[in-house]
Amino acid sequence: MTDGRLKSLLNKLGDVRGREARSALTLCGFFFLITFTFYIIKPVREGLLISARPSWWPYADLATALLIGFVVALNTRLLNRLPRRTYLTASLLFFAACLFAFWYVFDVIQTTQLQTPVADSSGILFLLWAQMIILQNKVIPVFVFCFWADVFIAMSVTQFWIAVNDVIAPFQAKRLVGLFVTGGLFGGIAGAAVAALASYFRPNHLQDLLLVCPVLLVLAVVTVNVVYAGQRKVDAAAGNDRLAPAVRAGYAESFRTVLRHRYLLLLAAMVASALVVGTLINYQFKTVVRHVFETDAARTSFVAAFLFVILAVSTVVHLFTTRRFLRAYGIGWAISLAPLVLLVGAVAVFLIPAGLMLLWAWAVRGGDKAFDSTLSQSVRELLYIPVPEDVKYKAKIFIDMFVNKFGVGLGAGLYLILLNVRHFEYRADQPLALIRETGVLTLVFLAAWLGLTRLVYREYPDVLKPSIRKKWDQGGDVISRHVDVDMTLKIFNTIQSRERSTTLYLMNLFDLVHRKELTPELKDLLGIKRDEIEARGMETLFDVGGAGLFPGLEEAMDDVDLRHEIDLVFLLPAYQEIMAGRLSGIVASPSEVDRIEAAKIIGRMVANAPTLEALGQLLQDPSAEVALYALESASIHRTPEHVPLIFQRLGNPMLRGEAQTALAAYGPGIEGMAQPVLRDTGEPLELRRAVPEVLARVGTQRAADILLDELSRNEEDLEQALIDALDKLRDERPQVRFREKSVRAEVLRLVRKACDIVLNPPGEPGQAEAALDIRIKRVFDLLTLVYPREDIIKDYQNVLQGTAKAKAYSLEHLDTVLDREIKVLFLPLLEDLPSDERAALVRKALRLK
Amino acid sequence: MAAPLVIKTREVKHVVVFDIEGEMRRHDTPQVTLSSLVQGELDRGRRNIVFNLAGVGFIDSFGVGEILASFKSIQDLGGKLKLCRISDRLLLIFKITMLDKVLDILEDCDRALDSFDSA
Repeated sequence: MTDGRLKSLLNKLGDVRGREARSALTLCGFFFLITFTFYIIKPVREGLLISARPSWWPYADLATALLIGFVVALNTRLLNRLPRRTYLTASLLFFAACLFAFWYVFDVIQTTQLQTPVADSSGILFLLWAQMIILQNKVIPVFVFCFWADVFIAMSVTQFWIAVNDVIAPFQAKRLVGLFVTGGLFGGIAGAAVAALASYFRPNHLQDLLLVCPVLLVLAVVTVNVVYAGQRKVDAAAGNDRLAPAVRAGYAESFRTVLRHRYLLLLAAMVASALVVGTLINYQFKTVVRHVFETDAARTSFVAAFLFVILAVSTVVHLFTTRRFLRAYGIGWAISLAPLVLLVGAVAVFLIPAGLMLLWAWAVRGGDKAFDSTLSQSVRELLYIPVPEDVKYKAKIFIDMFVNKFGVGLGAGLYLILLNVRHFEYRADQPLALIRETGVLTLVFLAAWLGLTRLVYREYPDVLKPSIRKKWDQGGDVISRHVDVDMTLKIFNTIQSRERSTTLYLMNLFDLVHRKELTPELKDLLGIKRDEIEARGMETLFDVGGAGLFPGLEEAMDDVDLRHEIDLVFLLPAYQEIMAGRLSGIVASPSEVDRIEAAKIIGRMVANAPTLEALGQLLQDPSAEVALYALESASIHRTPEHVPLIFQRLGNPMLRGEAQTALAAYGPGIEGMAQPVLRDTGEPLELRRAVPEVLARVGTQRAADILLDELSRNEEDLEQALIDALDKLRDERPQVRFREKSVRAEVLRLVRKACDIVLNPPGEPGQAEAALDIRIKRVFDLLTLVYPREDIIKDYQNVLQGTAKAKAYSLEHLDTVLDREIKVLFLPLLEDLPSDERAALVRKALRLK
Repeated sequence: MAAPLVIKTREVKHVVVFDIEGEMRRHDTPQVTLSSLVQGELDRGRRNIVFNLAGVGFIDSFGVGEILASFKSIQDLGGKLKLCRISDRLLLIFKITMLDKVLDILEDCDRALDSFDSA
């Protein structure tokens, strides 16, 4: 079958994308075979146990809980020492061999029950001594088998998810987990069906069922080897050695790992409380089954039929709901659904009459089992996704094998205490009373489970974050970290002014000294250290080794008193009077240098009427350099009548930056004057595009509100400038709040625009891709307004240039934090998909035919 | 009289090279700016850019602003900007103003182009 056809087949059961089809199918097959096996084993185990005395039930579970630690230790050691493929193969073959041994034991017991004389069923005489031992200790094989079955179930499921973690990246896992669970459910149905049919047609030979299992396990061995052989090829091609490093950790280290991580601890507690609830419900169920059915065969047959029906129902529910539920409501609701539904069931036990007991047991145990096989199983595995790889294996083995059994053990212990305290052993004729009293305990642990789901979910995004690293610093951050941009520009202006006039140069120098202590290198560069005046041509402007201006300049610059004296001169009434008369003449002068000097000096002068009038004229000067100095002076005086003149300068790219600086210097209050300019379609577009930056620099709440309002007007030509301004505001003014509802609406609008590019690509493929990249960047910039900025920047960077794994973590983080409406459209745009597949997903998300 | 600014664009191995000649300074008549040309290339999906400053005799604060604005736009999109064949005098000013800490400055343009491959 071709990859394409295989993918379309698998897509009916899950969400398979790109080249995942083969690995997804093999993993699905692996899980099918494992669950097929343990749903044959499970009814046999349950049937044997229910037929034992009820007070023994908890002992079986307790024995498992106590002994599982040794198995975990052995398992961890094997996992550490053996290559993953060898480890899985060996353990599956070991389980297959055990099944032959159990078959032999139960066959001996069964044969003696049917035939009075002791006979060697195998026909091998030297095994007679073994048969004698078995027959003298019939209870022990049942307990050993129960323990072995628990170990097999726990280990095989853990091994399957280890294989998934080896082969599938995190974000893939979220989509494919549904497919795997489907495989598991089909396996469960097949196993339960075989067990039910066998117990119906051969009620006295249930042990023969165990002979089916080794065949299935050998097939599982083949599947495992196919999975790992295929993955090695993929990894080799991608230069990825994901399988190479084995995580080495002992049992104690696994335990310490869980203790060290709050998230894992909460996860372990959640799993344990769920298991306590499941165990208690199981005892309630067993009590009812024992009460209703009288023979071993009837009980085994009922359990097998029950499992078959529950798994069939689970499969149908899973196929139609799990994926949709996860996509629609996310992990948060998915982990809470099971405890919520079971809570209703647990309360119902106090209300039902005795006649409805079996129905109640069906519903509640069935509900627990159904959730456990579908949604809860999927979500439980997804909760490991954010955990770093090195921690994940340690924690998973510990939680899956030890905490699981601890939960069962705790449930068993509590049940045992309850039996002893309430003497239920003697009230076995009143099963309703027994299940109600057990129900009180169930309610307590359901409440704990529910509370823990909330805590786990709250921690989930934070656990993802360490796996998402920043790829590069934002351009603005790099610049501001190393350079005082304002100062640098002034240095360049000062150097340039040397070509214009000595006066201008000196004024600029004094400004620089006012602002900052100059370094010796800078003084040298500016010519302060030289001891003779020399006019300079352009060609020697940067000849820093050349001569300077006049003797004693360096000392003069450092003389604070002199600088103070100069400041006082500007305040002299006589100076102001004389300069007022002179300014009008200078402004009209044909000499550009005179006008530049005037524009500069006005910034130091007192703001009286003649000065401001002259400044107004200089702001409109045709010379860019004159206007440059005039804008600088205007930013000092900040007179309202100059604002329209400054706004006009925004249209000139040569002066835009200085005009923005001058307007921003006006501070709060300028927003009201900026908004009409921004909206005035009669103004040049370039001018309007420069306004959002002014608002960003003003940085007030009102500026933020105006920028958002303007963005919602959906004027395509202003979109980039508005988003850049909002992003800058968010970065520089963390105290400013953005109306979440408005931002989310805008994000959604932009995402839809990006979807439009996917559905109707403009021009050539490269052009569409570039347009999509720009749209995606805008969406991320807007997302920073309502989510932690650093997190969103990291997500963007990793989606753009991260490794496959880093990208998967970022997508997972976005999937967790974004609104459903946004993410269903946005995430397909970010995934690595062929364009037709992406278009299909977007079309589906938009519900287009 | 200031030498007019001439910017030519070419593409070498998926890297956009701007060959800049003349004076990067404020002019009385508005003209196409370097940063707007860079933005155009970014909009076309190009992310790796080189400024060849061999023909640049003078840079004022406007020119520096243009280079920094270009750097910021490129960097934020995960791209790289490299400057090559910058004059010794300009390099000295860049060093003193610490712009050399921000901008990736290489002696010759072939090395600048090769450095994208090795990144």
